[in-house]
Amino acid sequence: MANVLNVVLSHQPPADVDRLVGYWNSLLDLGNVVIAYGGPRSSFDRIAFNKKIFIGDPNLRTQDHQREAQSYTAVFKEASLWLRNRSDAIHFVTLFEFDHLPLVRDLNARQVKRLQTEGADVLAYHLARVDDTSHPHYLHYAANGEFIRFFRKLSVRDDPSVVLSMFGTGSCWTHEAFDAIGAFIEPFPVYFEIYLPTLAHHLGFRLRDYGDQNTFVSNLGDRSGEVESAKNQGAWTLHPVKTLPASL
Amino acid sequence: MRQSLRAIALFCARLVGTRLVDFQTGRDLGKALVIPWRGKVHVIGLEQAVRAVFLPQKRLTYWKQEIGFTTQPPPDFPNQRDERETS
Repeated sequence: MANVLNVVLSHQPPADVDRLVGYWNSLLDLGNVVIAYGGPRSSFDRIAFNKKIFIGDPNLRTQDHQREAQSYTAVFKEASLWLRNRSDAIHFVTLFEFDHLPLVRDLNARQVKRLQTEGADVLAYHLARVDDTSHPHYLHYAANGEFIRFFRKLSVRDDPSVVLSMFGTGSCWTHEAFDAIGAFIEPFPVYFEIYLPTLAHHLGFRLRDYGDQNTFVSNLGDRSGEVESAKNQGAWTLHPVKTLPASL
Repeated sequence: MRQSLRAIALFCARLVGTRLVDFQTGRDLGKALVIPWRGKVHVIGLEQAVRAVFLPQKRLTYWKQEIGFTTQPPPDFPNQRDERETS
């Protein structure tokens, strides 16, 4: 079994973080979790779980995430750095937001299997090609000449105009792809749901999505009441779950 | 308040709007209000990311052309890292 590191991004109060980590570690067969914390420094210090990374980047702490171009670049950089200092080999890295709940013990094995079946370097929820479409995020950056020039300059692809979009949570990366993203500095603020998949694509990595599992990951609302029904329908994970059910 | 007004406006746009269909697959793309205005076509209330294209037509006409909608195919690009590293 390949080693997988699950990076769980949170800004919740310390007690909630510890409870969430407890759930992750009790569920996964080979629980390998690190918390990437985007809340206040004082709260970070009070998290009892010791595998934790503080993310100080203000570009992570946005209110209107799309318009303020929320960035996960610092999460990739800090997690990459953290991985470099470990003695055991990590082959894959997943990135989960705090409200994205794993539901199956062998989640990482399923992700790795799908990644390998697809021959992919990155798996993402709701992956889509959006260039030349009415997708609002694409249209916003299409108006920015710098965005187009940036990808044209670095792309190894025949068509440098391809733009991809994905959900920010639940992605699974080969260690190489994760590090490659972490090695880049954004030339200007770009919303990460466009920036991450488009950068990975133009660096030459193959991206695929979760197919049927997309149903269980949506961007709005609160699906806390759907945990049992999602499990019964074969969900690997569920998002968004704003309140960790007491039964878990 | 602003969000509520926006939601009401979008509901109305979709209520009176036209149903868009993917001209390649026949798939329902949702409803939107399509308004030509000052040399542009404004699309209001559409949730799906679509591409607008002039449609091919069997009959040659000089007086009318149609703009239809379709979507991009799912991303399925090969890995090109290895090629880059060996070149």
